[in-house]
Amino acid sequence: MKAGILAVTPAFFRVWRRNSQVYVALLKFNILPSLAEPVLFITVFGLGIGSYITEIEGVPYIEFVAAGILGSAAIMQATFECTYGSFFRMSIQGTFESIISTPVSASEVGLGEISWGASRGFVNSSLVLIILFFLGILDRWQVMFIPLLMFVAAFNFAAIAVLVTSRIAQMEYFRFYFAGFILPAQFLCGTFFPVSRFPEAVQVIAWTIPFTSVIDIARTLMLGRPADFALFLEGAWVFISTLIFTELAVRSMHKRLVR
Amino acid sequence: MILPMVVAAKSLNKRYRDVVAVAALDFEVEKGQCYGLVGPNGAGKTTTMKMVYCIVTPTSGSLRVFDMEVSLQPRKIKARLGVVPQENNLDPDLTVCQNLMTHASYFGLSRDVARSRCQELLGFVQLSERSDSRVPDISGGMKRRLVLARSLINNPDLLILDEPTTGLDPQVRHLIWDRLLELKDRGITLLLTTHYMEEAQKLCDRVLIMDQANAVDMGSPAGLVRKHVPPYVLELRVERRLIQKIQERFRHLGHQMSGQNVYFYGNSQDEFEEIVAAYPDTERIMRPASLEDVFLKLTGREIRQ
Repeated sequence: MKAGILAVTPAFFRVWRRNSQVYVALLKFNILPSLAEPVLFITVFGLGIGSYITEIEGVPYIEFVAAGILGSAAIMQATFECTYGSFFRMSIQGTFESIISTPVSASEVGLGEISWGASRGFVNSSLVLIILFFLGILDRWQVMFIPLLMFVAAFNFAAIAVLVTSRIAQMEYFRFYFAGFILPAQFLCGTFFPVSRFPEAVQVIAWTIPFTSVIDIARTLMLGRPADFALFLEGAWVFISTLIFTELAVRSMHKRLVR
Repeated sequence: MILPMVVAAKSLNKRYRDVVAVAALDFEVEKGQCYGLVGPNGAGKTTTMKMVYCIVTPTSGSLRVFDMEVSLQPRKIKARLGVVPQENNLDPDLTVCQNLMTHASYFGLSRDVARSRCQELLGFVQLSERSDSRVPDISGGMKRRLVLARSLINNPDLLILDEPTTGLDPQVRHLIWDRLLELKDRGITLLLTTHYMEEAQKLCDRVLIMDQANAVDMGSPAGLVRKHVPPYVLELRVERRLIQKIQERFRHLGHQMSGQNVYFYGNSQDEFEEIVAAYPDTERIMRPASLEDVFLKLTGREIRQ
């Protein structure tokens, strides 16, 4: 049995559709709670702390931090969906086993989950984008590329999450993942202040995490800064790492499900 | 021309690291047959079934389903299968009908086809009135019937049932038996595991007895009974202190022990007369031998871990 992205057919979308159906059935539980964190971030960092730090890198703090809040909304949503959500479907509900007993393959379950997690991150960050728009923070046309960028960022984190999910025996291991990777990623990657403020060693770590590049690209677009070659490299890193993690996650999920 | 078998296993093996789950298994299931796998827990029945529906990969040997090798064409094989797994893995967030519709989508069925199949199948398992109920709100028996309906959504040629009636009340069990026999009449091949020998005897044309990863024997239920045990059984429930005495006194009669029960086997009921005369007040049952006696004889009466 072949595994990996190349063995995937469009049947992966059936897994996406199954998840979206459950999402719609539980809509009232899904939309509002996932907006709580970004709204809190806007209030605390943008308006609260923003009243002390009036300017950073030459722009009002709220405009600076907007890219971080958007990115955070995308990756956190994707991460929750593809850690606890996927694990629950995999190990507790037996959903994956029921799916792979049909013509849908284990690799397709893997990609279906990742693309679903990416979609949730996309929806969540898009809602935050609308809130930011009404707060009058967004006024450049480049902003229209943000949702696509956030989709890729969410895809990246969904893939890493599925990779982790497919490897762990019990849910409690996610605590290590959140404490050791997600929380640092959320705060180290230039989300709330520039990466350049860190000691060199921390900067190196931060730049290896693709999320730092995502935030930097988003900020460049939102603030209308000129793009340079470094930005292109950052985009390439986000894209390539997403591909790599997706391939690893899909193969690992196959290994977990087909024994 | 010889028709290809629906399932054909040749020296099939499955190992999980150091544990041998299935060893050198050979069996064949003909089209239209109901084939039963029986054996104690851990005998390798579920692993065998999972290899047939392509979610466990054989370590070695050959396993062909619809004349296709499971490791090479799982997608084509699974398109023609229906699976009732041991655990009900229904979607608790969806309704009864949505569960069927979603499952239909995995087979690529159009919504219209799925909707009509859904109605037809809910009628078949007597769940039409609960179509819009959420899964947590229906009873265990209903869930099992829903899983059966779900397994039929793609009109399968082979239906795989892993302990279809375990833990169900007699009414639901009879309903499921009834439906399985109806499906068999329609020409669907059935492959099932069960712990109920009554169920195996009622439904199966062929039974494979497994124990500790190996096949112990195979045959029709009646044939297996004829082969392994005399036609009559006398069950005697006696006090512990008497057991040894009885054993010694009736050494010449074939017997087995299990807890406080002594089972005597005979070719006619007359053979038991001297026992009954010696212990007239002892609780006893005289009955024809069944598949259960064969099962216990071949796999032992002691409980194993």
